[in-house]
Amino acid sequence: MKCTIRHITRRARGGVSIRDVEVESETIRAGRGNDCELHLPDPRVLLHHAEFSIRNREMYASPAPGADMQLNDTLAQVTRVSPGDKLRLGPFEIVLEENRDGEHVVLTAELIQPLGDELENLLSRSKVNVGRVGLSMRSWAWIGALVAAVAMFVVPWIASLYFNPSPLLMVLNTRDQRVAAAPTTWWSTGGISSAHKFFGQSCSSCHATPFVPVQDETCVVCHSGIQHHTDPAVFTKASFEGQACQSCHKEHQGNSTVARSDQKFCVDCHADIKDYSGDTRLRNVTDFGNDHPDFRPTVLVDAALQITERSKTMSGPELPREDASLKFPHDKHLRSEVKHPERGNISLECIDCHEVDAGGAYMLPLSFDRHCHQCHSLKFDVYIPDREMIHGTPETMFKQIRDVYDAVALRGGYEEPESPALVRRRPGTPLTPEEKAVVLDWSREKAEQTIKGRFGRGLCEGCHQVFDTPLSGGSTGGGWSVEPVSPTHRWFPAAFFSHRSHGDVECGTCHNARASTEAQDVIMPNAAMCQSCHGGESAKSRVPSTCVTCHSFHREGLPLMGPKRPQIFGSAKPIEPQSVVR
Amino acid sequence: MQESILVYRHLFYFKIAVGLVAAAAVAYALHNPLGQPNGGTWLGYTLGGIAGGLMIWLAWFGVRKRKYGVGKLPLEDWLSAHVYLGLAVLAISTLHAGFQVGVNIHTVLYVLTIIVIVSGLIGVYFYVRFPRLLSENRRGMSMEIMFGQIAELDREMRQIAMELDDATNAAVLDATQNTVIGGSLIRQLRGRDPDCPTTAARMFVERSETRGHDARRRQLITRIMRKEELVRRLRLDIQLRAWLRVWLFVHVPCSIAALVALAVHIVTVFYYW
Repeated sequence: MKCTIRHITRRARGGVSIRDVEVESETIRAGRGNDCELHLPDPRVLLHHAEFSIRNREMYASPAPGADMQLNDTLAQVTRVSPGDKLRLGPFEIVLEENRDGEHVVLTAELIQPLGDELENLLSRSKVNVGRVGLSMRSWAWIGALVAAVAMFVVPWIASLYFNPSPLLMVLNTRDQRVAAAPTTWWSTGGISSAHKFFGQSCSSCHATPFVPVQDETCVVCHSGIQHHTDPAVFTKASFEGQACQSCHKEHQGNSTVARSDQKFCVDCHADIKDYSGDTRLRNVTDFGNDHPDFRPTVLVDAALQITERSKTMSGPELPREDASLKFPHDKHLRSEVKHPERGNISLECIDCHEVDAGGAYMLPLSFDRHCHQCHSLKFDVYIPDREMIHGTPETMFKQIRDVYDAVALRGGYEEPESPALVRRRPGTPLTPEEKAVVLDWSREKAEQTIKGRFGRGLCEGCHQVFDTPLSGGSTGGGWSVEPVSPTHRWFPAAFFSHRSHGDVECGTCHNARASTEAQDVIMPNAAMCQSCHGGESAKSRVPSTCVTCHSFHREGLPLMGPKRPQIFGSAKPIEPQSVVR
Repeated sequence: MQESILVYRHLFYFKIAVGLVAAAAVAYALHNPLGQPNGGTWLGYTLGGIAGGLMIWLAWFGVRKRKYGVGKLPLEDWLSAHVYLGLAVLAISTLHAGFQVGVNIHTVLYVLTIIVIVSGLIGVYFYVRFPRLLSENRRGMSMEIMFGQIAELDREMRQIAMELDDATNAAVLDATQNTVIGGSLIRQLRGRDPDCPTTAARMFVERSETRGHDARRRQLITRIMRKEELVRRLRLDIQLRAWLRVWLFVHVPCSIAALVALAVHIVTVFYYW
């Protein structure tokens, strides 16, 4: 077979150069190998890529194993090639131009996909700096700014609208509103205190006016009864003039209380209290555990005039004594055996008389009827065993005794042997007017005897202080009366104490009642007693106790410290329905 | 030159920053506010004002560095002050916050500030260390020269491989056509290609050394190895330059975001005073 191989090379500027090579061979090999008749010098072509041969005057092309060959854009194996057919061997296009009966064929070969410039190719696939990988500093900066603005301002701002509901947002129910409004808390500088949490998501509840600190008027909407620390008219230096609620009560400090409990806050002034008020009777204090003055109970020194005094300490040398107007020896009542009229010998415990009030803090007042009467009977006449004196005012009692004897005299049947026969007569026997006058005379005399006697005045004197009164001649007097009894309910009115939280401690640990012989004794502990368990704020081995554990800053009975509660909240005027936030 | 940023003017700005932080720390230690220390006390406002002012001034560096020869202070002063006062912001803003963090935008601002400062520190480290590595690696050659040499080597490799067996030729063709230098951000930062076709081609040719054409194969291997070395150096060059740039993509957007956060922080804190 003769073969004309026409190498076509197209120039960049459109020119075409043709180089013919004539070969004569049985088969024509195509490849990049130098031994190939159809030499295709390109690395993308195999050494021996394909082979052309003539059979029955037709030309056939067969690719080498693993070599790609396309006939008219279709992958082909051994195939017949007709004139005009285009074969692709790698980047070359081979066209059979002529086939003269298998004797002489003309093939054109053209490199139609040149490799191109190495440098250009290399550079085109090499991204050599960060700027070329789609990053632009400016656009990232914009994204950063935008994300920050949206996440930190726009989202919470939109959420804040849910607490000032527009008609559109009103369709949400309260719970949904709260969920939707949650991002407003992103603006919060710290957790809301426990007590304020229930409205803490609604910033404007307290922050009423933008760019203005929270005002006292807002606080007193709820906290309307906050009193001064001292009487501002007397202790001008401790009036806290010019201070706002939030000067001391710091909100957004987390899950606690805004009430101050730090010892230092109090000690700042109370370490040298005379500097603030020269004539104060308070003593300096710096720490409960080791620098607290001893307790000075406020005791009643004149029950009649209700004069109290607070000067003697519980450590002596002279102990405070209460003008109790009562005779009550604790020691006798707390003996191991006391005689009960019905139950024989019993032993009394403190709680048989002293009961904690419902709040658990203090003791309920004692009453004769509940605490004394079981043992201490007020029967005044053995021949009238079913009647007892009323435990009330002497006047009531006098009247009762007189009435009882009048009734007995009129009825008869009084069995005292020394009494007149008329009084001893069979009960119910009618009396003549003259007889009636006689028995009533007896009754008056008997009543006055009894009132003045050991079962009248004498019985009262067992516990009470009795004094003589002039007989005014009226029917109410009895010639004597009883000092009023007004026992002090709280000997330490400036301190809190909870009996319930000390319920596991024996009463006698703090109250040495077994040693008390008189009701005038103030059976209270001294500071050292409390200090045996309680230390100061930073105590390590005792219960850390700060000033406000027992004392209050805002003190009962003093004028209001803040502004008054706004009228609209205190008035009885109902809130307009449309102004109620759902 | 690079070290001189840190020791510039005998640590003048370092001393200023240390003085500022020390003063803030002493004030914080002596300050005894009601409740926990926080940004809302007089010291809190003062420290916040200083930290906020510094942040704005530090961000202004981004503007200043683009203006050559403007202003009284040379850029070196600005950069040295930027580094040290930037570090001071971390301490002052921590004291401003009274060491309190929470789930809120104020802590986001704090975190952004930390990110900016830490990325800046990394940047300083890169700028101190990498320029020398870069020039050592370049050995006076420009990138263009290295790329030119690689292209020339590719051409020679292909020519040699044309005469060799198909498998070798294919490996070499792959090496010349598919070796990527640089590439995506990750590849640039990584600085190497574990599947590099050039290395694969060298290993292939080394393994098949017994197939004849020994002289040509040796020529081929020499060229592939030279290319490998050039590629490695180019990749290192790209890697170092990428790291020198990429920290800024954290530093700058975060600092812009922090400025926005600072504005929101100030507005919301005083709106809800």
